[in-house]
Amino acid sequence: MRLLQWAWLGLISFAAADTNVTHESRNILPSTFKPPQHFRNVNLVRNINLEKSYPRETINVVVENIDDQPQSEYYLPFEQGTLGRIGGLEAKDKKEPGRTGFTAEVVEIDPYSPTEYYKITLPAVLPPKEQITLQITYYVLSALSPLPAQIGQMDKQYVLHTFSAYAPSSYTTLKQKTKLKLPTADVPDVTTLPADLNAEGKEDPQKQGTTFTYGPYGEREAGAIQEASVRYEFTKPLTHGKLLERDIEISHWGGNIATEERHWLTNRAAVLKNHFSRVAYQQSAYYNPPTHALKEMRFPLTAGSVDAYFIDDIGNVSTSRFRTNTRESNLEIKPRYPLFGNWNYGFKVGWNIDVKDYVRHLKGQSNSYILKVPFFEGPKQVEGIEYERIVTSVILPEGAKNVRFETSVPLVSNTTGLHRTFMDTLGRTIITLTAVNVVDEFRDRDLIVTYEYPSSARFMKPLTIFGGMLVVFAFSWVIGNLDVSIGKKQKTA
Amino acid sequence: MPPKKAQPSPSAIPASAAKPTHAISTASSQPTKTPNKPVAATTATPSIRNAQDIQQIGTAVWNNYVEKTAQRTKLLDAFMAFLIVVAGLQFLYCLLAGNYPFNAFLSGFSATIGQFVLTASLRMQTNPENQAEFETISHERAFADFVFGSMILHFFCVNFIN
Amino acid sequence: MAASTTAPTASTASSSPMAFFLQGETGRNTRGLLRLIILCTIAAAAVASRLFSVIRFESIIHEFDPWFNFRATKYLVNHGFYAFWDWFDDRTWHPLGRVTGGTLYPGLMVTSGSIYHLLRFLTLPVDIRNICVLLAPACSGLTAFASYLFTSEMSDSPSAGLLAAIFMGIAPGYISRSVAGSYDNEAIAIFLLVFTFYLWIKAVKVGSIMWGALTALFYGYMVSAWGGYVFITNLLPLHAFVLICMGRFSPRLYVSYTTWYALGTLASMQIPFVGFLPIRSSDHMAALGVFGLTQLVGAAEYLRSQLPSKQFQTVIRSAVLLIFVVAFGGLVLLTVSGVVAPWSGRFYSLWDTGYAKIHIPIIASVSEHQPTAWPAFFFDLNMLIWLFPAGVYMCFRKLKDEQVFIVIYAVLASYFAGVMVRLMLTLTPVVCVAAAMALSQILDTFLVASAPTENDADTKQANGTPAGANGSIADKLSSALPDTLRSTKSPLVGIYSYLSKSLITGAITSYLLLFVLHCTWVTSNAYSSPSVVLASRLPDGSQHIIDDYREAYYWLRQNTEPTAKVMSWWDYGYQIGGMADRPTLVDNNTWNNTHIATVGKAMSSREEVSYPIMKQHEVDYVLVVFGGLLGYSGDDINKFLWMVRIAEGIWPDEVKERDFFTQRGEYRVDDQATPTMRNSLMYKMSYYNYNSLFPAGQAMDRVRGSKLPADGPQLSTVEEAFTSENWIIRIYKVKDFDNLGRNHQDATAFEKGNKRKKTSAKRRGARVLRVD
Repeated sequence: MRLLQWAWLGLISFAAADTNVTHESRNILPSTFKPPQHFRNVNLVRNINLEKSYPRETINVVVENIDDQPQSEYYLPFEQGTLGRIGGLEAKDKKEPGRTGFTAEVVEIDPYSPTEYYKITLPAVLPPKEQITLQITYYVLSALSPLPAQIGQMDKQYVLHTFSAYAPSSYTTLKQKTKLKLPTADVPDVTTLPADLNAEGKEDPQKQGTTFTYGPYGEREAGAIQEASVRYEFTKPLTHGKLLERDIEISHWGGNIATEERHWLTNRAAVLKNHFSRVAYQQSAYYNPPTHALKEMRFPLTAGSVDAYFIDDIGNVSTSRFRTNTRESNLEIKPRYPLFGNWNYGFKVGWNIDVKDYVRHLKGQSNSYILKVPFFEGPKQVEGIEYERIVTSVILPEGAKNVRFETSVPLVSNTTGLHRTFMDTLGRTIITLTAVNVVDEFRDRDLIVTYEYPSSARFMKPLTIFGGMLVVFAFSWVIGNLDVSIGKKQKTA
Repeated sequence: MPPKKAQPSPSAIPASAAKPTHAISTASSQPTKTPNKPVAATTATPSIRNAQDIQQIGTAVWNNYVEKTAQRTKLLDAFMAFLIVVAGLQFLYCLLAGNYPFNAFLSGFSATIGQFVLTASLRMQTNPENQAEFETISHERAFADFVFGSMILHFFCVNFIN
Repeated sequence: MAASTTAPTASTASSSPMAFFLQGETGRNTRGLLRLIILCTIAAAAVASRLFSVIRFESIIHEFDPWFNFRATKYLVNHGFYAFWDWFDDRTWHPLGRVTGGTLYPGLMVTSGSIYHLLRFLTLPVDIRNICVLLAPACSGLTAFASYLFTSEMSDSPSAGLLAAIFMGIAPGYISRSVAGSYDNEAIAIFLLVFTFYLWIKAVKVGSIMWGALTALFYGYMVSAWGGYVFITNLLPLHAFVLICMGRFSPRLYVSYTTWYALGTLASMQIPFVGFLPIRSSDHMAALGVFGLTQLVGAAEYLRSQLPSKQFQTVIRSAVLLIFVVAFGGLVLLTVSGVVAPWSGRFYSLWDTGYAKIHIPIIASVSEHQPTAWPAFFFDLNMLIWLFPAGVYMCFRKLKDEQVFIVIYAVLASYFAGVMVRLMLTLTPVVCVAAAMALSQILDTFLVASAPTENDADTKQANGTPAGANGSIADKLSSALPDTLRSTKSPLVGIYSYLSKSLITGAITSYLLLFVLHCTWVTSNAYSSPSVVLASRLPDGSQHIIDDYREAYYWLRQNTEPTAKVMSWWDYGYQIGGMADRPTLVDNNTWNNTHIATVGKAMSSREEVSYPIMKQHEVDYVLVVFGGLLGYSGDDINKFLWMVRIAEGIWPDEVKERDFFTQRGEYRVDDQATPTMRNSLMYKMSYYNYNSLFPAGQAMDRVRGSKLPADGPQLSTVEEAFTSENWIIRIYKVKDFDNLGRNHQDATAFEKGNKRKKTSAKRRGARVLRVD
């Protein structure tokens, strides 16, 4: 909270330093908004990958401009409740994967509208009658719900995923299909759609191993929805990070970058039917069956990390192991207790890395530096972890200015401010970046920060401390020389 | 001998004119053998005394006090007497009217008591007779101490009074 | 650790062979500087030897009470001083709550709160937890300094103060309460105690209002910090009283005592928890009485100097006595009539060690209120304990006002330390001071008494004291030597034989080294365990940490409703409040015996009796500590008899201690255990499901070393919610009322039947309903 206040204060006073203006500004449209029907989806294939604890949807769509003007804004609709859980939406050209310049942003409509949109802006306008093959990927958080919601400690867990057999589209779609990729063949329930919906009149869905295919379907108008659901075995934790705060503090004097991550995790898995039984848990420890409890986490840290720690609100947690060598560093932690469904765990991990390996001089400029660190690290789990919100702060040395940053993680806000800590006079420049709905597949995305750090700022702190000491000594000398004794004159007289 | 030192103090001069006989007796009061009380030495039971004698002693003490005490010290004594009176009044009020705001009564009462003992201490420290006891404490130092103590006392009282 | 840091003190002293610096004005400065350096190293040693637990474990708050202090400090830091003052805590003593702001000694919290804000002001964002953990070691450094000052007032010897400082710094008797993490009132109180005594001695010596007022200020600070201030409240008047009785009344005494009493009493009344106690309770009446006596004696002395006759002096003296007796009678009358509160129970237990056992089981149940075992004295004070009488004897030899104080203090504190383990703490300072006086006398005699020209450097080397070898001091000391000693050694004055000198010096040095070793050993092994975290050794010698307490507390903190009430025995109340952050029924502030007895009754009764009690108090979770799997002896079954006793004190008809013992008077948990024992909620909760860990019939309780019954207990009104890794903490959830209105026994039986025979379920169900 205070950080935020400082951040705002800093924003006002250091507006010049901030080149990346806050881009929380969103286009707000009236609720009657309908995307103009400039486009047509010629062919659409949607893949829903359910192998992890969050579904990843990939829409490959051939889009044709049917308007007589060149167009560049493609809208993707989501139901109102869903949009808040969509994360990491990215678009690219399927045929030219290297092509950059696609932007995706939320178009905000006033809250009564049932549908909201993502607006994808193409890097170049699409002339009339031309086609482009878009590949849109996104993640849906909190999408799986355990059914039954209460299971025993050693039971298998089944989760339910509800979706629409038709891909979300604001445009008429001529042909489409939806493929589900499941992690297992143990699928007790899957919605069977009537065969007459299917364009080929076949059984719907088609099953191939662990893949289910809905469709193909014929022409469907914009916004068509066909409810479907699948229930499958997923005896793994549904780890959900409510908040991840990450601080990266750079010290040129100490030659050190200190990283600390504060996690608030919860397990969305099925709740224990009876209470936790230590006996059953200890017995199961011998043969280690799959379980919906989160027992341990592994943080693959950047190579060269040292001094890792793992603590929570009430102190150090001794059940962690840190293995490090020249090529990799791994922090393996066990929470104090296994996390069963609906149990929470908040903790902190932190480590240090050498500043030399991650901060470089910018070529040609003696005072400019460039920092390259992951946007967030966090644990890497087989079943994946989703984060509702990640707040990454980079605390630069005192006196750093002209700060710029760049990252490929979609951000919702960024602020620049001042942070006062050990013996600071002016305060250190801090940039705070917020991203929402991120999954752990993004953990390798880098954050690049460039800043200027003049050598005058470098010597400011030692000089300040020296000056302070000098003042204290001078003061005590003056005090020591003051004659405050009472009655001395009388005695001598 | 402390009395000798007391003699040169200027304020003692006007008082000494009152009764010369007693001046002599007090000058030799430390050696205990006093010329005007030979009777006292002979009587076996000192507690049985007639009222006249007590009155006599009282006046003797009073005269002794009046003539021997420095003017400043008298000022202190008057202040102490005043404090005792105030404390007594407060106590009386407390007995008669009840001690409802007990904090207030207590801090008022202890303010007077505390001030009394501080003043008494100051008086002792500045008393030339006690010079031997308080070698390191000059009069100015004693007064500064007194101010320091009083400030603390009244700070606590004000804090406590609610 | 202490050994390594004391070594430099010896070397700094010895590294000055230049005699030039030891004479004259420069000599004085050099010695002053050396003394300062030595004091600093002593303080560093004192701090360092208290850090074992931080190094071995982590920066963590220890034990039980410190958790409350820590929680209160956090409240103070977060909500500010005034909110803290008016703090009503509804998360303890569940239905009642506690007016925490008015029922604690705030000195400790305010101290660390101000340190916190000071550091914040200097832009040093130190975590409040670290301040709390390190406060006690920091204060111990100050205590060492205070005892240096205190001893220097007592003895002419320059080494006595330094010896006292190092003794105070590393004596286990004090370390036991001031290791890093033991964030308790005693942490700062001992420093304040010693410093107040120093100021008092200074005041009595100088007779200045300023020193008296300073004494009062630090006394006020002490009052705000620890309930043990009563010790000062009674010791100073006793000193004054003894001095008056010895005929040593002086204006100095009047000044210092009255100033201290008038200001100190007011200062102590500023603390809400103390309030009007100084004028209402018997514990404080001695001070008031001596205050009155001082006034009388002062007035009498004044009058005496004014009065000519000796007879009148006798009159006045008898009048003084008469008034004193009348005042004393009045006090007794007031006490009887109830205006003045009689002595508190804890006080009585000081005089009669059996008192608490009979009348106040709750006081007796605290282990630190037990009488001290004799070995504990040697354990806590080592060689100081035999130097101590020698030091007290030294005081008798040169009996000035301040020495009288030491004698009184020594006598009282020895008695109290014998009565109650925790009061060892008040004994330690005087033992250190007296021992230092004795030892410095020996050292000065044997090192300095000879011709100072020859052996300046080497004597000091062995000594470890900086500046013994000054000619003038040596003369003074040799003249102060006892005649007997001198005459037995040689007809000449002083000890000239190098043999005897080196013999004694060597012996003393080895004793000192042994003492350091002992202190370090005791600190490291006995006093550095946080007791929240347990450590054990794995077969390969590496340390294994058993962290069950925090595991369970953190589970409670994260996975239960923030308002869920937790019932446990009162020992764990503060920890649950601090670490689990959940409301508790009872905690370590044992002010309400009935409430504790209620919990005791719930724990020691049958489930049918306990359930309504728990429901009445809105208990959601019950927490028990069970050491049977690990062999952890401080568990609830071992404390169980106290619960029974305390409950019996309130409900003698419903809970009977006798029922928990077998016919032969044994306290057993195996199949010989009495039915009352086996049906008690505590027993059931401790052993529930425990036997399923073992092959049938093999369940072992490793604390009590007994084999448990083959059939484990059945629970119907509570259900197991969480059990920690090593089973030390077990948490049970109290069931809701059955929604069919059955009682829980029937409901459980129904479910069982349901499970065993699905077909008979209907029939059983019907029967159950009919019963209802």
